[in-house]
Amino acid sequence: MAQAREEAGDSRLVSGRELSSHIIRVSVKTPQDCQEFMLAENSSVHHFKKQISKRLHCDTDRLVLIFTGKILRDQDILSQRGILDGTTVHLVVRTHLKGTLPGPGTLSGPAGHCMHRSEPSTSESVGMLARLGRLARSSPELADFLGQLAQLLMTAPESVVQFLESPVVQGLANEKPANTSHTPKSSRLAQKPEPALKALETLQNPSRQLELLQEDKRGLEALKVVPGGDNAMRPVCSDIQQLMLFTLAPLVTSKDHSAGSELCKEVASAHIDTDTTATIPTALAPARPLAQKVRVGDVSQARCVASNQASSGCGTGVPDVNSSQDLLSQEIQQPVGTAPLISQLRSSPSALRRALHVLQLNPALLNQLATGSPLRHHMPLLPILTNPRALQALIQIEKGLQTLSKEVPGLEPCLWGPGRSHGTREPPETRGGGQSQRTDSVQPTLAILQLLHALSNACSQSTQASLSSSLLIEGCYQQELEHLKAMGFANRDANLQALMATGGDIHAAIERLLGEPEAQVPPVNAHSGEGGKGRGTGGEGK
Amino acid sequence: MGPPNLYPVKLYVYDLSKGLARRLSPIMLGKQLEGIWHTSIVVHKDEFYFGVGGISSCPPGGTLLGPPDSVVDVGSTEVTEELFQEYLSSLRESLFRRESYNVFENNCNTFTNEVVQFLTGRKIPSYITDLPSEILSTPFGQALRTFLDPRIQPPEGSPVGPPNGQS
Repeated sequence: MAQAREEAGDSRLVSGRELSSHIIRVSVKTPQDCQEFMLAENSSVHHFKKQISKRLHCDTDRLVLIFTGKILRDQDILSQRGILDGTTVHLVVRTHLKGTLPGPGTLSGPAGHCMHRSEPSTSESVGMLARLGRLARSSPELADFLGQLAQLLMTAPESVVQFLESPVVQGLANEKPANTSHTPKSSRLAQKPEPALKALETLQNPSRQLELLQEDKRGLEALKVVPGGDNAMRPVCSDIQQLMLFTLAPLVTSKDHSAGSELCKEVASAHIDTDTTATIPTALAPARPLAQKVRVGDVSQARCVASNQASSGCGTGVPDVNSSQDLLSQEIQQPVGTAPLISQLRSSPSALRRALHVLQLNPALLNQLATGSPLRHHMPLLPILTNPRALQALIQIEKGLQTLSKEVPGLEPCLWGPGRSHGTREPPETRGGGQSQRTDSVQPTLAILQLLHALSNACSQSTQASLSSSLLIEGCYQQELEHLKAMGFANRDANLQALMATGGDIHAAIERLLGEPEAQVPPVNAHSGEGGKGRGTGGEGK
Repeated sequence: MGPPNLYPVKLYVYDLSKGLARRLSPIMLGKQLEGIWHTSIVVHKDEFYFGVGGISSCPPGGTLLGPPDSVVDVGSTEVTEELFQEYLSSLRESLFRRESYNVFENNCNTFTNEVVQFLTGRKIPSYITDLPSEILSTPFGQALRTFLDPRIQPPEGSPVGPPNGQS
């Protein structure tokens, strides 16, 4: 009898006339609404689902009934599961997409199940887009993204599929987002819209990567205020810059080289003019349009890397540009990719020193450097960089300045502050090393000071090198030293210093030595108020 | 089909007033309230809650409120994570859209109550769901309503919040 009644119930909704089997009223609650069903209490869940599917116009396969937290299986009997008259059963309609669009009572969530199909047919894509559209309606940001994704899908489906299947995106799919309000855990379901969302966002904002790196670097720049932190920072910063450029370079599509080199020149000049703490953000700003517009070809890429490398040095706007351009030239001569350049830079913290060595070895490069450098208007680079004695003098000047700033701390702002990018100063520093000590009137250009600072950094790392070079220089001046000794200047060191300061001019050296009462001490750091008057003439001699 | 997995469901209860309600409610409302309760559901190792931003989720205890003031065990559910997500998605479309948040009538506790019933068949403790009516039954609560409920125009005549359709 029960069977007959079941079958009768199958063909039509139970009207309630049967009394022998208890007819119960069960509420079916969906997220959208709540409906009541009348059926026999010993009917199966499968039967129940069929009734529901008739009323809601969807497949029974997609119905999930939940009662007191338990998912009802098809073969269960309602009364056995405790479903009595007046109880409420919860219903979830899954978003199965098997060629049909979802029914009225269904969900617009992430189209999880449809994505498991290997080749999306047109109807499926349409259905998916409809679903995504519903999702987009719930969120404006998603709407933008999904619109773009839809366009992409229409125009270049292969590339999108490729993109979605890339390991990066798949990796993103495995991420667990912390606090997304719209698709909180969809990524765990490994559905393509979710990782596509994230990855496309990332791609659309390559500057976001830069910004993140920038923020990291801001923290690192705090190291700069620590004396000596500079040297530690350089390789770190250079690493970061290189990583950033490595990441960006493959993302960039090509336009033309000239635009690239223009941008790079911008970058390079930006470094020279700006403060050290601003160089890195400045580098990032041009690097951003760079990444978005220009392809980084071999040369321009190397140049960018080099000039960005330049920015990473602290207080080394000039010499790093020089050194990096030098290394760049090396790269040009050996058409290798940026990897060796970067590994080169990464391995040696004193790129400057190596650059100087290279400069000494390759005069052609030096010429290129001197003529190509934006600094050439400010000072004749060639004499400075080619003349080892000039370099030595610069080193001594820098040492002197350092000592001076230590002795008189209030002086440093004067020296470093106002002279930024004035630069129309001939380089008398090479001649009158002691003259730079005229603190009241000296306004050295920032560029000079940066050069000196860098040199001192480089040299402080290897005092051995300085010593050896000074020995060499001593060898150069052997003859002059003999002369001076014969004249009665007994202090060999002072003689040597004077000779170095005057560039080997023995007469000037003599005047220098005579002009200083403290000829017995190294004159570099001399408090040269007294020396100034005598030296004026000697300095101009060259 | 093997035996279904059972996932524990917990209710996280927070006192938004951090104890102030217990002390000040007699004075301000004329009746004793133990707290201003905010609740969320923790299931499948995530915390779900409903607020002005819609239905959101985070790691358990990961909201600005910090760890919950109390945790109520409301049972277990067979509902899988996938199914739960679908359910939440449909809730987002219907009853708990972002704009349908109403601090008195469709708030976090309303949401929690719905979800717990879906997951386990039980309801959340009544002291939580009775809170709005408790407050609104006081003169102070009625006065507060004009500021908190965007459907009601404050006496000045200009709406406090953006006028929106309520579910």
